[in-house]
Amino acid sequence: MASTAGTGALTPDRSGAGHVRGRLAGPALIAPFALFYIVFLVGPLIYTFVAGFFNGSLLREGFGSWVGFSNYADVLNDAEFWRTLKHTLWFTVLTTIPLVLLALVLAILADRFVRGRWFIRFAFFAPYVIPSASVSLIFMWGVLADQTGLAQDWLKALGVSSPPSWLGDPNWAMWSLAGVTVWWTIGFNFVLYLAGLQEIPRDVHEAAAMDGAGPWQRIRHVVIPMLGRTTTLVTVLQIVASLKVFDQIYMMTAGGPDGSTRPTLQYIVDTGFTDGRTGYASVVSLFLFLVILLISLVWFFLVRRAEKES
Amino acid sequence: MLRRLDSPGRAAPGPTRGTPDDRPAPSRRALLRGGAGLAAGAAATAALTGCGSTIAQGFTGGEPPADRLNFWNPFTGGDGERMVAMQELYEKAHPDSTLRATTFVWGNPYYTKLSLATIGKRPPHVAIAHLSKLPVLAQAGLLSELPADALAAQGMTPEKFDAKPWRKSHVDDRLYGVPIDTHPFALYFRTDIAEKAGLLEGGELADVDGPDKFADALRAAKEVTGVWGGSVASIKDTATQFRMFLSFYSQLGGRPLVADGGSSVRVDLDAAEEALAYIQRLGKEKLIPTGANGQAAITLLTNGEAGFLMDGVWQIVAVLDSGVKFDMRPLPRVFDDAPYACFADSHALVLPRPPKEDDARLELSLEFTASLLDSSKLWAEGGHIPAWLPTQRSAAYQELTPQSHYTAAAEGAVYDPVAWYGGAGSNLQNRVGDAVSAALAGRATPRAAANRVRSVLTKLADVESPI
Amino acid sequence: MAHTKEGPAATAAAAPAPADAAPAPRRGYDAEKLFNRVALGVLVAFALLWLVPLLFATAISIRPADEIAVDPASWFTSNPTFAAYEDLFDKGKLPYWYANSFIVSLLTTVLTVVTASLAAFGLSQVRFRFRRGVFLLLLAGIMIPMQVLMIPQFLALQEVGLLNTYWGVVLPQVPNVVAVFVFKQFFDGIPRELIEAARADGAGWLRTYWQIVMPVARPAVSAVTIFVFVQVWNNFLWPLLVVTDPEMMTLPVGLNSVQDAFGIPYAQLMASAVLGAIPLLAVFALFQRRIVEGIAGTGLK
Repeated sequence: MASTAGTGALTPDRSGAGHVRGRLAGPALIAPFALFYIVFLVGPLIYTFVAGFFNGSLLREGFGSWVGFSNYADVLNDAEFWRTLKHTLWFTVLTTIPLVLLALVLAILADRFVRGRWFIRFAFFAPYVIPSASVSLIFMWGVLADQTGLAQDWLKALGVSSPPSWLGDPNWAMWSLAGVTVWWTIGFNFVLYLAGLQEIPRDVHEAAAMDGAGPWQRIRHVVIPMLGRTTTLVTVLQIVASLKVFDQIYMMTAGGPDGSTRPTLQYIVDTGFTDGRTGYASVVSLFLFLVILLISLVWFFLVRRAEKES
Repeated sequence: MLRRLDSPGRAAPGPTRGTPDDRPAPSRRALLRGGAGLAAGAAATAALTGCGSTIAQGFTGGEPPADRLNFWNPFTGGDGERMVAMQELYEKAHPDSTLRATTFVWGNPYYTKLSLATIGKRPPHVAIAHLSKLPVLAQAGLLSELPADALAAQGMTPEKFDAKPWRKSHVDDRLYGVPIDTHPFALYFRTDIAEKAGLLEGGELADVDGPDKFADALRAAKEVTGVWGGSVASIKDTATQFRMFLSFYSQLGGRPLVADGGSSVRVDLDAAEEALAYIQRLGKEKLIPTGANGQAAITLLTNGEAGFLMDGVWQIVAVLDSGVKFDMRPLPRVFDDAPYACFADSHALVLPRPPKEDDARLELSLEFTASLLDSSKLWAEGGHIPAWLPTQRSAAYQELTPQSHYTAAAEGAVYDPVAWYGGAGSNLQNRVGDAVSAALAGRATPRAAANRVRSVLTKLADVESPI
Repeated sequence: MAHTKEGPAATAAAAPAPADAAPAPRRGYDAEKLFNRVALGVLVAFALLWLVPLLFATAISIRPADEIAVDPASWFTSNPTFAAYEDLFDKGKLPYWYANSFIVSLLTTVLTVVTASLAAFGLSQVRFRFRRGVFLLLLAGIMIPMQVLMIPQFLALQEVGLLNTYWGVVLPQVPNVVAVFVFKQFFDGIPRELIEAARADGAGWLRTYWQIVMPVARPAVSAVTIFVFVQVWNNFLWPLLVVTDPEMMTLPVGLNSVQDAFGIPYAQLMASAVLGAIPLLAVFALFQRRIVEGIAGTGLK
């Protein structure tokens, strides 16, 4: 990624002064960004790690007192933490699969047409630029509402006498949230796939067609394999995004009903900001960070191995 | 990751496009335009919306103007309407002060906002807090203590307040809030349905006290409506479930669920089981729905699909608006193992602790508080039993019906147990309410639900208090 | 219909035996045509389905309250009204929220573009010690989700008194590692001669950056601008925590936290959803291609 070749801009005939200026120039150019990076990313990360050893509180001044590993032990023994982690992973599964597969299918289909593409692209991508607050309002009060909602109305029209309470029934709530998320964010993956498709050279299609491959075979044996790298990218971005889910769940179910949809990030907000237990919430944050890191690394490892094998 | 990162690189224009001679730098212009755009856009929006000073504050972090009075509350619906009317009375009487009232989502989101604002040094002058929450907020140092002399200067003296909520407004003998009401969990009933069901005696509801009598009354109403006997919210409404449970549990003589500021659990398992068994029975016998949300529970009453409704008195406006014939009474005394009890809470006006205490601010805030108390009758029309005795004892209030029919409930008011994780819309209400609705819906046996109540409380109690 | 034209010719050429030459292209053509028809049908069906929630919200928002009371799920109204929108503007704090969102997003975008492009320029074009190390260190930052750092960030801003200010919302969102990579990737593709020529003219690094590199980097600038702006505009969790003053809130936070004291008429809920959606939707409709290319180029969520 870091292609350093050919970027050495200092020419040999530079004067000594130029060298000195040049030597400081690099760090100086990076300094403003580095400052933000250290203050708002590295510093807080270290703080999070350290704060986990104290019983800090939002409602008390200072760091709190040293509690050793007890926060760590408590989090690991905290059934609610594991439950929220389970919800987070389940949500990730429920959203990643359709968000990758459906986006892939729709992009492949859309790639066959030039006329009217703006419409297709608009329809799928428009929801993505809408703030989560609007999305939640539309679905919570409009589409998925009890009694008055569009989804229940349609089901009733289809003859279902008592359609479920989409966001109020613990058996349905997570599925509903996943559905909303698919609607909201598929445009992003769709666009990444469209970009990937555009990079497949035309002659590949032509060659395959020459070999007598029909449209379906061409998609299966040529297009999808050639989109491999895009799929890797889309999948890993999707997994990481889904693991960080908060907005739509917080707004539509607040983690309910019966806590059945509360994701880990909301647990951090609840324990850290509603209860004010910053020390404890720091440890939960750290664990969530590790989970995200681990899952992304495992994914990359698996993909790399698969690529080597093939 | 590689893929996305090299795409713009690939789009890099050829060398010819940006040779040094090509300096009229389109992007520099664009950047300058962007910078100018920022200033112009900000100025334009500021001018357009007339919120220039607010925007300046956003950059400088400065204080809002001193004559502004910020008031926060969690009231929507009928409560919200009345609160707005009360604010208008204040504004009429004080034309030179600027009142800015904001309504937030009830429950945890409201209290989280309130404490974050206070920590963030931008608290509202006056805010509504439930008395079930007040001890926690006060112990966390989020509230200003109210000096008796400053209150008296505005005419607010102890003897003018209902004793129970007034006492509840103190923590360690210091006053942190001015109570405005008591709002119990009560029973609504349709007089027309009750009459058809033979439940009216001389215009009054017959005796429905006792587990079987109440169930029979519901059954009689069910025969009239053909759908449900009574109604209660159980979906997306843990608070209502908690209120119903706490009422029956307390009537059974159950001790406060937790004690010592929340660090020890005192659930009376037998009382909890019996209360939950009764709740489950109502659900099992199809006397009350197990799948209605807050709105639906009320609608069932107003459209005649249920003859009774167990809900807070503050829903009175919604029922009144529907125009149906109805009346109210305190929640039935289903169990008589203990003095009469029903869930209740109170709203109080509190002064979140400002970054620096200042007399002018205090006076402004208390003036507003006194003004709201004076319009307590408006508030009472919304269902709440006024804590301000000049109103509670006034003939005008006594004549309000059905508002004056449940004043007795205030005597039996049982507040949430005091715990840092307790109070209106809290974790305690949510967790326990979840267990209750599991029992109501038949997803758990009463015993299992009671054990669940104990285990969720134990878990909450085990956590070291952040205060 | 990009790939259909070569269909018949191609299949004809690939026909297995000369004897079958006549029917083969027919079959291939039919398959191709049939496939396209099905594809188009599926696409359009999905696209329409995707538009339903937005259209429904809009339809509800212009229905009068009494009609909604009678039939809440209906799409149609005989007398559309903008009453819900007027109410929102009259009583609500929407104008503040629009202004705040705009300021916060623009401020963050400008700071990000400037700091990230400077850093990327340094990393890409200037040779210095530990350059590779610094680069890898920054690279690691891509793995840190900002959301897990909100507690220390909040405490730090509280300490310096920046809660409830624009800076409190903006500053933590500035260090955007992906922006650095987008710029660096782009700068790596700039021909060396271009920079050397400027340097030979005696231009300093800053001048080279400002007058030579940035003008060329317009695609990268617009890509970063778009994704940072959208991301900040739609950010919910961070401003939810930092901003408690109702007049200081951004649009998503205000829409979610602040309620109307008069209860929440259905039409008004939908109207506020529509109003929340409109600004970026309008921008998107205007610059669709740009934005889509920008997003595809950066691949950032």
